[in-house]
Amino acid sequence: MADATPAVEIFGLVKDFKTSFRRQMLRAVDGVSIRIQPGEVYGLIGPNGSGKSTTMKALLGLVAPTAGRCAIFGKDSLTVDSRREVGFLPENPYFYKHLSGAETLRFYGKLCGMRGRVLADRVSELLALVDLEGARDRRLGGYSKGMLQRIGLAQALVQEPRLLILDEPTAGVDPIGSRQIRDLIFKLRERGITVFLCSHLLEQVQEVCDRVGIIFQGKMVKEGRLDDLIAIEDQTEIILRDASPELVSQITALVATSPGAEVVRTGKPRTTLERLFLRETFRDEP
Amino acid sequence: MTDMPANLARSNKGSHCGRVSVIAIHAFTQLVRMKVFYFLAVFAVIALASNFFDLPQHAGPESAGVNVLRSIKSWSLGTMTLFSVVFAIVATALLLPKDVEDRTLYTILAKPVPRIDYLAGKLLGVLLLVFVSLALMDLLMTAVLQVRTSMVLGDQLEMAQARAWSAAEVASLRSDILVHGPNWSLQGAVFAVFLRASIMASMALLISTFSSSTLFTSIVSFLIYFIGHFQADARGIFLGAAAGGSGLVTRLVSMLVALVLPDFQLFNVIDAVIEGKAMPLIALGELTAVGLFYAVFYVIASWFIFAEKEF
Repeated sequence: MADATPAVEIFGLVKDFKTSFRRQMLRAVDGVSIRIQPGEVYGLIGPNGSGKSTTMKALLGLVAPTAGRCAIFGKDSLTVDSRREVGFLPENPYFYKHLSGAETLRFYGKLCGMRGRVLADRVSELLALVDLEGARDRRLGGYSKGMLQRIGLAQALVQEPRLLILDEPTAGVDPIGSRQIRDLIFKLRERGITVFLCSHLLEQVQEVCDRVGIIFQGKMVKEGRLDDLIAIEDQTEIILRDASPELVSQITALVATSPGAEVVRTGKPRTTLERLFLRETFRDEP
Repeated sequence: MTDMPANLARSNKGSHCGRVSVIAIHAFTQLVRMKVFYFLAVFAVIALASNFFDLPQHAGPESAGVNVLRSIKSWSLGTMTLFSVVFAIVATALLLPKDVEDRTLYTILAKPVPRIDYLAGKLLGVLLLVFVSLALMDLLMTAVLQVRTSMVLGDQLEMAQARAWSAAEVASLRSDILVHGPNWSLQGAVFAVFLRASIMASMALLISTFSSSTLFTSIVSFLIYFIGHFQADARGIFLGAAAGGSGLVTRLVSMLVALVLPDFQLFNVIDAVIEGKAMPLIALGELTAVGLFYAVFYVIASWFIFAEKEF
C-alpha cells in the first residue's frame, strides 16, 4: 500500500544569512514550498546562487530555517530521527582520502547502526551497484572524480534510505561517468526510492525527473510535472521513418488545405552531442 | 538487484556509545595514517640521550648516578608534556575545520548522528592517540630508567660494601636510589601529563567550534595554556580585588581567567616526582577530578555552540 505521508514537505521556507560585519541580511531562500511524494524523482533547477543548496541543507537540518518548516516522511528536519530515512550526496564531496572504498562504506554504515554480516553484505552490494568492486581496497586519494561521485552515492545509500538527496550529482564528471550516475538514478527509481536532486545540467534533469521546480533568486518561479511544463500545447509532432520526398510534399499540401494549421518545420531530427559521444566512445572500448 | 528490504538502519538504530566509538576510532585511524607516530623515534633518541646528560653534582659519592636518573625522568616527562600538549591542540584544531572544508561533515551530519556524538567522537579519537602515544613513551622511559637504576644501584652497593656500611645504611641507600627509579608515582606523573593534554584538547575543541581556521585555534589554545599557569594568581587578584576596591576591568579579567581556566600549577606535582618525591593518591585524585571537570565543561560548551552552528 502506498505511503500517504510525503517524502519531502517544505512549507514556506525562508532562510536569511547575515552578511559580513552583520550589517544586513541576505535572503537566500524566500518562501519556497515543495512537496515530493514517495517514489518520485524531483529536480530543483536554477542558476548558481539561486538557493538550491540552501534548500537542501535546510531539509537536512544543516541550516535552521528563518521561517517555515521542512519535514522528511513527516518528521521535522531539525530532529536527528528524520535523517534515518535519508541519504545525501553533497556537491563535490571529498570524503576521507585515507580510507579505501570499502572502509568508507563501513564507516558510514556503522554511523547508521549497522554491524557485522549485514554491513559486510551491504558494502559488497553497494560496491557492485556503483561498479567499484575493483577499487574496493584502493584509498579514495587515488579515485577519479567520477569514482568519488559513485562512492558518494553508495555512502548515501548505505542504510537503504527511502529518500535520496543529490546536490549536483554529475558536477565535474565526464559524460560516461555522468551516464552511469544517471543510470543509477533510474535503478533507484525502479526500486521505489524517492530522489530529490538539484542541478543546472537541464538535459539530465529532463531525462530523469518526474517533476521539476525552477528556483530563481530564492523564489520558486515554476513547478509541476515535467511533461506538462515542457509540452508546447499548440503544436503536434509526427516523426516518420524512410519517408520519401513525395510523401512529405503530400503531407505538407494536406496541412495547407486545413484552415488554421501550418507546418512549422520539417527536416531530420538530430541526436544530441552527448548521445553521439557516448555511442562513439562505447564502440571504441574493447 | 534484489527488492529493497526493510530499511536497515530502522532495524538497528545504533547507540550513542556505538556512534561515538565509530567516530573516535576513525579519528584515531586518520591521525595514525598521518604518520604521527614517527615522533616516537625522536622520543627514543631523547630518552637514550638523557642517559648522557650527567649534570655536575656537589653531593657525596653515595648520590653518584642519581642525577642521571633525574635527568632521564626530567627529559622524558618534559618531552611527553611537549608532545602531548602539541598533539592534543593541533590534532583537535585540525580535525573539525578539515571536515567542514572537505564537506565530509555534511555527509556525517546527514546521517542520524547527533552533533554531540560527533564532537565527543572526535575528542575521544584525539585522546586515544595521546593516550597510546604516552603509553608507548612511558614504556620506553620505564625500560631505560629500569636498566639505568639497576646499574646505579649495583655501583652504589659495591661502594657501600667497600666502605663496610651497616645493613641499615645500605637499606637507606637502596631506598634513596629506588625513589628515583620507575615507581607508581612516576606512572601517576605520566597520567597527570595525559590529564593536562586532555584539558587542552577539550579547550581546543571548544575554540574550533567557532573558529574556522586551524592556525587560529592552535595559537589561541597555546596562549590559553600559557595563561592557565597564572590562574592561581588571577584568582588571588580577583579575591583581593573584591575587598580592595580594584577597577572593574581588573576584576572582570581576573574573574574570567579564574573561572574559565584550570589552574595548571596543580600539575607541578610532576616536577616533585622528578625530584624523587612520592605523588600522594589524593593529589592524583584531585588532578583527575580537575581534568574531568574541565574536559566535560569544555565539551558541553562546545556542544552548545556546535548545535546552533550552520554549514
